[in-house]
Amino acid sequence: MVTRNLSKAYGLLWALRDVSLELKSGDCVAVLGPNGAGKTTLLRLLCGLLYPTDGEVAIDGATLLRGPSSLRSSIGLLSPNEHFYENLTVQENLRLFSSLYGKKIDAADLARTLGTVGLGSWSKDYVGSLSSGMKCRLAIAKWILLEPKLLLLDEPYGVLDGSGVDLLESYIKEVCRSGGIVVMASHHVSRVLAICTRALILHRARLIFDEPRQEPWLNFQRAFGEFLPRGERWSS
Amino acid sequence: MELLRQAARLLWKDFLLELRRRESLVTMFFFGALLLFVFQFAFEISAERAAEMAPGLLWLAFLFTGTLGLTQLFQAERENHCLDALLLSPMDRASLYLAKVSFNLFLMLLVELVIFPLFWVLFNLTSWHLLPTLFFVAFLGTLGFCVLGTLFSAVTMRARAKELLLPLILFPLMIPVILATIRAMEIILRSGELGEGAAWLRLLLGFDVIFLTAGFLIFEWVIEA
Repeated sequence: MVTRNLSKAYGLLWALRDVSLELKSGDCVAVLGPNGAGKTTLLRLLCGLLYPTDGEVAIDGATLLRGPSSLRSSIGLLSPNEHFYENLTVQENLRLFSSLYGKKIDAADLARTLGTVGLGSWSKDYVGSLSSGMKCRLAIAKWILLEPKLLLLDEPYGVLDGSGVDLLESYIKEVCRSGGIVVMASHHVSRVLAICTRALILHRARLIFDEPRQEPWLNFQRAFGEFLPRGERWSS
Repeated sequence: MELLRQAARLLWKDFLLELRRRESLVTMFFFGALLLFVFQFAFEISAERAAEMAPGLLWLAFLFTGTLGLTQLFQAERENHCLDALLLSPMDRASLYLAKVSFNLFLMLLVELVIFPLFWVLFNLTSWHLLPTLFFVAFLGTLGFCVLGTLFSAVTMRARAKELLLPLILFPLMIPVILATIRAMEIILRSGELGEGAAWLRLLLGFDVIFLTAGFLIFEWVIEA
């Protein structure tokens, strides 16, 4: 996946400016930065929910354009607590979205996947009755079924318990192992750094740091240290 | 075929949600019935004046109840950012338009099925034999209302004062439909013949076809704006 001079403006305000990236199969990328840096805007541009003011996103050489496109079936956005109809049951939601992605899932697939994420007994419950953590597990189940090649995660750790975090991290590793790309925006720095292979830091809409993982990662410590409150030190 | 399959799936989702929430249909039905009672207290309609008054009053009720339905049309998609989840998928955006038009049309026709006989009962009208013909004209008018209304419901979906904005934009553009439907119904009530109002029916049909096609073509730009 390649982005060239990706920029997004809301009126006169630039939410993201001139971000150029090249991501390869198996990359697990952490997107870090303070509030308002442009992390969510970057994710929404990468999945085609927003259109750039300037620049472009290309996957396998094809530019992500407005409207329906086969490219979209290879992109997943995991946003905890969102993207499900509360008055539909867990399995109705999964069946609806699978059919919109042109995937046929049978009852066995559904039961196995829900079992994997720990929602086996909740398949006939309304999504509205699930807790935030369970909704996040449901989102993981959705993307396990839809098998995206590019998985984007927006602040996924906030609502998950210990076993949920383990589940999410094993799923992320599985996507990368199978040749997919994971891009994850989060404020849980130590968690994302533990699994990422590359880190980006956004600040005031610009990409100020982009480097593959190294040990020790002194450049990262220096760049990230700027955002820590005075007197606080960053440690991996 | 894929477009129709996706539209059917989205329509089924809307039916399930309406069955469970019972928000739009119940509100529309009670509001429509309430309007008829207000009209009944306010106007005295004799059998001779029925042709003159009934179409206008009926369409006032349909317009107001229909607008109420339109403001709720994308409610489920607004909650939990479900619209984002739909737009994230590779589905044809026109399938969402088709599903929403069909759903809104279904709700309005259900309400009209009750409003028509209720109007005849409340105003002691005797021309019951004309109801199927009048309902057919109302169907064409309602289709016009739904194809344009769904488009503008999507336009105003993210607006802060969408309940105020929607009728302000929609009603002026609906004038050809309102005029053609009222005139056709008036002619049918006077003459008892559908053929007498053929010119108005052609206008209605033309409006429906043009705006359904336009909606299909531009909905993608409207919903992804």
